Amino acid sequence: MQYKKKDQQLEVVLPGDFNLKAVRQISELLGDRKELKVDLENSRFVNSKAVIFLHNLMIAEPAVVVKLKNPPKVFYELISTLGLHKEWDLDHIIEP
Amino acid sequence: MEAHIYIEARLGILGSVTDFTYKWCVNMGLDQTDAARMALAVDEILTDILLYAFRDETGYVEIWYQYTFSEIEIIIQEMGEPFDPGRHPYSAEKAIHENDFEGACLEVVRKMTDHFLFLNRGKDGKEFRLVKRFASLDIRDHFAAPLEEQDFDVEPEPDENYLLTPVTSEDAEDIAKLIYRSYSYSYPKEELYFPNLIDMAIRHEYKFGTIVRTVSGGPAGYFAVVKSTDSMIGEVGHAVVSPPHRKRGLMKRMMNKLIEMSRQRGLLGLFGEALTIHTFSQKVNEKFGFKSTAMVIATSPKRTFKGMETELSDIMSVVIDFLPLTKRWRKPIILPETYANLLSEIYSQFEHVPKVTAGKEKSDSEPIKTNLDLNISYEKNSVLIIVRDVGSTFEASCKRLLRSIEELEMTSVYIDLPLNESRTNSAIQWLKEREFILAGLMPLFHKETDYFRMQRIRAEVDFDIIQTYTEIAGKLKETIKNEYNAIQKKGSTA
Repeated sequence: MQYKKKDQQLEVVLPGDFNLKAVRQISELLGDRKELKVDLENSRFVNSKAVIFLHNLMIAEPAVVVKLKNPPKVFYELISTLGLHKEWDLDHIIEP
Repeated sequence: MEAHIYIEARLGILGSVTDFTYKWCVNMGLDQTDAARMALAVDEILTDILLYAFRDETGYVEIWYQYTFSEIEIIIQEMGEPFDPGRHPYSAEKAIHENDFEGACLEVVRKMTDHFLFLNRGKDGKEFRLVKRFASLDIRDHFAAPLEEQDFDVEPEPDENYLLTPVTSEDAEDIAKLIYRSYSYSYPKEELYFPNLIDMAIRHEYKFGTIVRTVSGGPAGYFAVVKSTDSMIGEVGHAVVSPPHRKRGLMKRMMNKLIEMSRQRGLLGLFGEALTIHTFSQKVNEKFGFKSTAMVIATSPKRTFKGMETELSDIMSVVIDFLPLTKRWRKPIILPETYANLLSEIYSQFEHVPKVTAGKEKSDSEPIKTNLDLNISYEKNSVLIIVRDVGSTFEASCKRLLRSIEELEMTSVYIDLPLNESRTNSAIQWLKEREFILAGLMPLFHKETDYFRMQRIRAEVDFDIIQTYTEIAGKLKETIKNEYNAIQKKGSTA
């Protein structure tokens, strides 16, 4: 997994799918940083454990700012299936 | 290509399994998005198995990847902690307001698949079945209205000018058009209306066959063998000769070619499923040396095809006709007492018969453990249970499996029992007490072994519309009818 740590930010480029293993690795790397950027260019899917992980980061006190780049099509279906499409501010979460 | 993997349930292997799933799905013909959906569904289930079924213990998971012309099915089996998905429904409200995501995994699996089934088989473990149907272009969409005769090669060529060649994937569209133009909407094997599905089946060598063309290149006939994935036999089916080219002996030429091609490929036998709404196919099979061995009462869900006012019939009973391509049956058989005479008569039709040995219960060489495989046909609303080993636990295992599929409310349940195991005799008795009736002999049907099929039908069967041609088929029909009526009578007096 490629990553860059800045003061308050962790930037990750996932080599594969955003699954439980990736969640655990990111969680370890993130520590108490305030911003997480994940590039999903190589991901075919994001699983529900990853979505729950991101959701918990975003509603935590203090909250972590989550940014996602290049999410696969299936990601949007998953968010909608879990009923989070209205809850998540996708315009801000998804980076162009 | 079917696949089977056996893995240890640990986090490090999840990525490899989902990679394999994705690639297998793409190779089998799913588009990349559908393949990603299936990979996600498998990942969701395996992740939950890893987290909750085995917790800190070492556990193992078996996954089967199965392909048919119209869909793929992935079956995940594990023996971890008991679990009832019905007790863990997902609620988006709870997720948002209480941060409770319980049931999210299966909610995602349901959404990503076309059909999801969970079976609790008690001591035999749990089973997750994920189905995705192929999204293909239907040849019927090419035509706004039924074709007129002039759309086809109206002028038949002289007989000597027909050309028979083995089919290739490039023939797929012509085959679909041939089916449509010859049968309109009424051909029972619906996958033949989809060029992509035909193309895929030929490329993966699930079927082989021959196509007849006129000298101008127009398709006139097609006949194929669908190879069994479980035994070295094949089904002759998918036969069509377009109306302007009929009565020219094309079917005979193609059948002879198919038999020759089957021998070249080392198949041990061919079988046909001849519809019983008429005797035409049964007559053709008999002419080519096929012998009737079973009658399978089947129903298919009523469906209305595009452009049709009426629904197709839901009765699809068939006679199984078998043609051995080998002189030697490899495995000896044990005749079960109840059907010994009938089976002897069925076998006596063949020039060469398997060696019959005396059955002795609880033979030392026979397995203790029962091994049951389950095949579900959602399209036909039926289930086939293949008994690989009739162990001493047969009754308990079979009872658990039947209970687990009870809520599916399948119209037909078939059970294939191996005729080379002595416990089959008592298994038949046990099944008869549970409303199973005769179907007949399924020669070399699984792992090159002769099987005995029983069937349980939860539908009204009108035996008057079932037509048989051969003497044996007639006897099978009579026995099945009597057993069916006895069960109906018992049910009405209970």
